[in-house]
Amino acid sequence: MRVFFAILVCKLLRFIGKLVGKGSSLPGKYALKICPDVLGRVKLPPCIIAVTGSNGKTSTVEMIAAILRAGGKTVVYNEEGSNQIEGVTTLILGSSTLGGKMRADVLLLESDERYARRSFQWFHPTHFVITNLYRDQLTRNGHPEWVYNAILPAIHPETTLVLNADDPLVSCFAENHEKVKWFGLDRCSISSAEHRGVYHDGARCPVCCGRMEYDWYHYEHIGQYHCADCGHHRHETDFAVTALDLEAGKLTLDGETEISLAFKSIYNVYNILAAWSVCALAGVDRGTMASVINNYILKNGRMVQFTLGHHHGTLLTSKHENSVAYDTNLGYIRNTKEPCEVLMIVDAISRKYFTGETSWLWDIDFDLLDCEQVKKIVLCGKYVNDLAMRFDYTRIPAERIACYDTVPQAAQALAEEAGDEALYVVTCFSDRDKLLDLVEKEAV
Amino acid sequence: MELTMVHLYPDSMSLYGEYANVLVLRRHLEAMGVEVTVRNFTCEDTLDFSDADFIYMGAGTEKRQKSVLIAAPYYAPALKAAAERGAVLLFTGNAMETLGTSVTDAEGKVWPGFALADFTTVETEKRDPGDVVATPALWDAPAVGFMNKCSVTRGITTPLFPSLLLGFGNEAEHGAEGYVSGNVFATHLTGPALVKNPDFLDLLLRRLFARKGWELPEVLPVLPHEREAYDVTLRELRARIK
Repeated sequence: MRVFFAILVCKLLRFIGKLVGKGSSLPGKYALKICPDVLGRVKLPPCIIAVTGSNGKTSTVEMIAAILRAGGKTVVYNEEGSNQIEGVTTLILGSSTLGGKMRADVLLLESDERYARRSFQWFHPTHFVITNLYRDQLTRNGHPEWVYNAILPAIHPETTLVLNADDPLVSCFAENHEKVKWFGLDRCSISSAEHRGVYHDGARCPVCCGRMEYDWYHYEHIGQYHCADCGHHRHETDFAVTALDLEAGKLTLDGETEISLAFKSIYNVYNILAAWSVCALAGVDRGTMASVINNYILKNGRMVQFTLGHHHGTLLTSKHENSVAYDTNLGYIRNTKEPCEVLMIVDAISRKYFTGETSWLWDIDFDLLDCEQVKKIVLCGKYVNDLAMRFDYTRIPAERIACYDTVPQAAQALAEEAGDEALYVVTCFSDRDKLLDLVEKEAV
Repeated sequence: MELTMVHLYPDSMSLYGEYANVLVLRRHLEAMGVEVTVRNFTCEDTLDFSDADFIYMGAGTEKRQKSVLIAAPYYAPALKAAAERGAVLLFTGNAMETLGTSVTDAEGKVWPGFALADFTTVETEKRDPGDVVATPALWDAPAVGFMNKCSVTRGITTPLFPSLLLGFGNEAEHGAEGYVSGNVFATHLTGPALVKNPDFLDLLLRRLFARKGWELPEVLPVLPHEREAYDVTLRELRARIK
């Protein structure tokens, strides 16, 4: 009876919430108060896929949903990104009958890496995709190993782990776990024998702290590694990008399926590969998968095109407090060959909580912008001085850098420029609308 | 004017831009006409403090901290000797804990430290990373920064910051934080603490010049954006305290 009541209350609150445009965690919160173990009492679908990791969760989940739906499956997933237990409860009960049965073939969850344990207290995923673990929002997360330790108790022995073989820390989840499938990127045009980046979290083995050796790096600490001391190493993959030409935007999956990339970023490559791997495990055929992910344009709006004065602009949504997200976007700009200007905004460090923390700026490899086509770099926002100081320690000549205290000042200066170079904007969700509100957006 | 800096375990003890502490100090020294040599030592190297004027270790994960603590008892006499010779030491984040007599990890295992000071640290299962505003013992302007600790340090009678306006001190919320004795400086502030706190940086410059017997210029160099960045961060954090 309590289950029925919890579902009813959840559905009602969800309905009201939608009318008034409120968030999606409150209905679940009340349902959990009425029936704390409601998630253990609802009949869930036979396939439950969870995705966690520092970067790429939302995009990967979106692509998985698109593929599964094309494969004829009914999918319920947390599109609104509410990935803690309350939001997950709202999602599950909202899609259940009053009799407590979920109406879906697949439950797909983007799972917060720190709270996965709570969400999976009452049920466990059949497939758990772990994309990567980076330095991400250390003001909340502590550090990647701390996050690893938070995820570990959320893993059920019966769950099939779908792991990024190229990430040495993520690979540790396979220890003492039987059901593991690996995905990874083979050596390709972007692979390098030299590490690139300001810091190197792969320098030391995550198991024994010994010195790690890399045959190649794809980026940061992602690549082909082994520890000379304890033998921790990259595993052979079950699913792989076997060829990649990032400049041309082409990749090959498992040696036979060619895909074009709508967004030529290494992130996109890994997100596609993760989605490909888990959807194959869920029984979708390769042809269907390929037709969906070929030239797939993400709907979550992380890339926005706009016009500002004579500039054609592209906003590359990054994440403050996440240097890898920045490096990836800066790498994307570096790989474009057209003359361009770059605008960086650090105004509010987070949209969800307050912090004045700027250490992460020192972890970003801003020297990626030290290339011929980047003609000018405009810095702005409340933390413009921190940004400017950081740039003083790069190789980029000072005369190429302009600083403004506010976003409108920077936007105005850019709008008044005579040149029509491409403009790339790199900033976070917390700050992007401060610019987008001032420009003319284009349909993608 | 030549000066040698030792950066201990830059590959292992690197949580969050710690390398910038060495960079910013070096740049200021160079702006004052000092020729700086930086020696990096990893776990595989034999540590040598014989010519060190400045010794730095930054924060690491709990696991990495233990991987460097293994060698602490062995190198303790050499580090002590360097400190007694007047070398300036700066240990930030959980590197601070290694200067004490021991660190007890979350499983209860006791790891002996460099034992330069008579304090002990116990790790906890709770971690509460957050912003910090600290009242310094040795300079006027509040220090700002970020702390990312999961430990309690007891037995410190000479803190670097007698109290915190924001953040968790050695033993308690808003309590005394860090450690200072002579030229040995330690704080759980994580990341580029010297970048964020120009006055702290200036204090270390003064101590380094005094150690070398060099005449200190009347005005210390102020590099672009440093003071402005500090002012903004302090203003933002203060607004949060109120």
